[in-house]
Amino acid sequence: MRPLVAFARFEVGRLLSSWKFLIITIGFPVIFYMLFLGDRRPGEMIAGTVTWRVYLMVSMCSFGALVAALTAAGARLSGERSSGWARQLRVTPLPAWSYVVTKVVASMLVMLPVIGLVEIVGVGFGGVHLGLQTWLELTGLLWVTALPFAMLGVFIGFMVHAETAFPVVTGLMFVLGYFGGLFNPVSSMPRALQVAAHSLPSFHHASLGLGLLDRQGFAIEDWLVLAGYTLALGLAIVLRHRSEETRGIA
Amino acid sequence: MAVVSAETAGIRTTGLTKSYGSVHAVRGIDLVIAPGETVALLGPNGAGKTTTVDIFLGLARPDGGTVFVFGASPTEAVRSGWVGAMLQSGSLPDHLRVRELVTLLASYYPHPRRVDEVLDQTGTADIAGRWTNKLSGGQAQRVRFAAALASNADLLILDEPTAGIDVEGRREIWRAIRAVAERGKTVLFATHYLEEADANADRIVLIARGEIVADGPGSEIKAKVGSRTVKATLPGVELAELRALPGVLGAERHGEAVTLSCSDTDAALGALFGSFPAVRDVEVRGASLEEAFLELTGDEHGDQDAKVEASRPGNEEPG
Repeated sequence: MRPLVAFARFEVGRLLSSWKFLIITIGFPVIFYMLFLGDRRPGEMIAGTVTWRVYLMVSMCSFGALVAALTAAGARLSGERSSGWARQLRVTPLPAWSYVVTKVVASMLVMLPVIGLVEIVGVGFGGVHLGLQTWLELTGLLWVTALPFAMLGVFIGFMVHAETAFPVVTGLMFVLGYFGGLFNPVSSMPRALQVAAHSLPSFHHASLGLGLLDRQGFAIEDWLVLAGYTLALGLAIVLRHRSEETRGIA
Repeated sequence: MAVVSAETAGIRTTGLTKSYGSVHAVRGIDLVIAPGETVALLGPNGAGKTTTVDIFLGLARPDGGTVFVFGASPTEAVRSGWVGAMLQSGSLPDHLRVRELVTLLASYYPHPRRVDEVLDQTGTADIAGRWTNKLSGGQAQRVRFAAALASNADLLILDEPTAGIDVEGRREIWRAIRAVAERGKTVLFATHYLEEADANADRIVLIARGEIVADGPGSEIKAKVGSRTVKATLPGVELAELRALPGVLGAERHGEAVTLSCSDTDAALGALFGSFPAVRDVEVRGASLEEAFLELTGDEHGDQDAKVEASRPGNEEPG
């Protein structure tokens, strides 16, 4: 356990000391939020459910969590595997699974401040007012349910070579963001895209957060899809890891 | 070499084989390394050194044969902290200072050495505060060596530990390796330099095309591969006659020319002129390690399975 804790602390420390990483993960969602906020009037509603301002805040929390996971786990893991650092770790007593688990944990940890920062911008610029308990519930909910994003990041890190990681990660960020209805409400999209959105974890992640705020209860579909992604990606990572161990590729 | 049982051997392998696609990187390696031995795995690039080392470290799984490290599987031995390793390639993680990196890696081992002591010994004390991504190639190599040393593991496996390091740095690294060996640790290092192997190992295991072609103390191996070549024009002579000459290890013919690989060129030349007065165009030169390997393995043309290339300092071709 001791090496695992030391390694996790080291991972998070490295992430936080990386300016490039911080600017991308924090900058993207915050800047997008400000841009999208534009001239939305405080009371402007989307299809009679939530206000634009609330919708944008929750969506950008989702987007921020996604970006953090894909860059923290995905791009960096891929780089470390290509550079031989992952291989070097494999010849230390650090258990092989702990490398993967630490990547998931580290990307979960860096998501939290990103979500928090978007919420602060929501209060400061977006004029979003919620009770303390609702803030805590929303933050906790968005954080915990971002687990499939962390798994996706690790999965991408395993599958993609460092040279192609950046375009893949960036592409996924915008595909999941746009088609998941994080930039524009799904209700404003053509029918076919609405159907497609329901298969994406990004849509269901934001949908859970919005469900909490509009008091319409949690859609069971959201939970099922997110759990499905988590399990499927987790399984894919384990299988990939196993096959590499057998074939002797670090 | 003492008889060592599987339980007590540092490393014990039988019939180890490993292929990558159609490339037979390792084909039948039997090796026993006793605890406390310092062994050099010597061979040209592409000989199978790195694949062998990867198998010992659990990074590659052999297709056939068995391998035990202190009586356990390589993976168990690594997980138990019995093995400290320095791989041939691999950059350091960024956003980390040298001391932090060495400290982190050392912390995974049950009985690590004091980090400051290791930094001093590896000439990395003055760069301890530097970011790992701001190091030169040679500095990074030293840091990777320091990390392996800090493990204080019973078995140290080093793949080309001095690749890309200047002369002074090499001297420091070998000094540190010998100090580890003197403390009773087992050391296995791969190299393609005969001189390094001879100067720093109790025993040299010569490997070519995935097989062990010679195994013994440095002096013995040196007599075999530190050979020189005599070329001469000598038509119509039986190669067997040439091979029988004193100081001659092997003979080959290319048209009218013959090439003799010799352990003792003085004796060979004397005998050559004595027995074959018709000999002309005599030329003596030092054989490269590659030529010596080819001679030892009795195959003039390297086959597709393992390419044999000229060794040069800093060459990081996978072995």
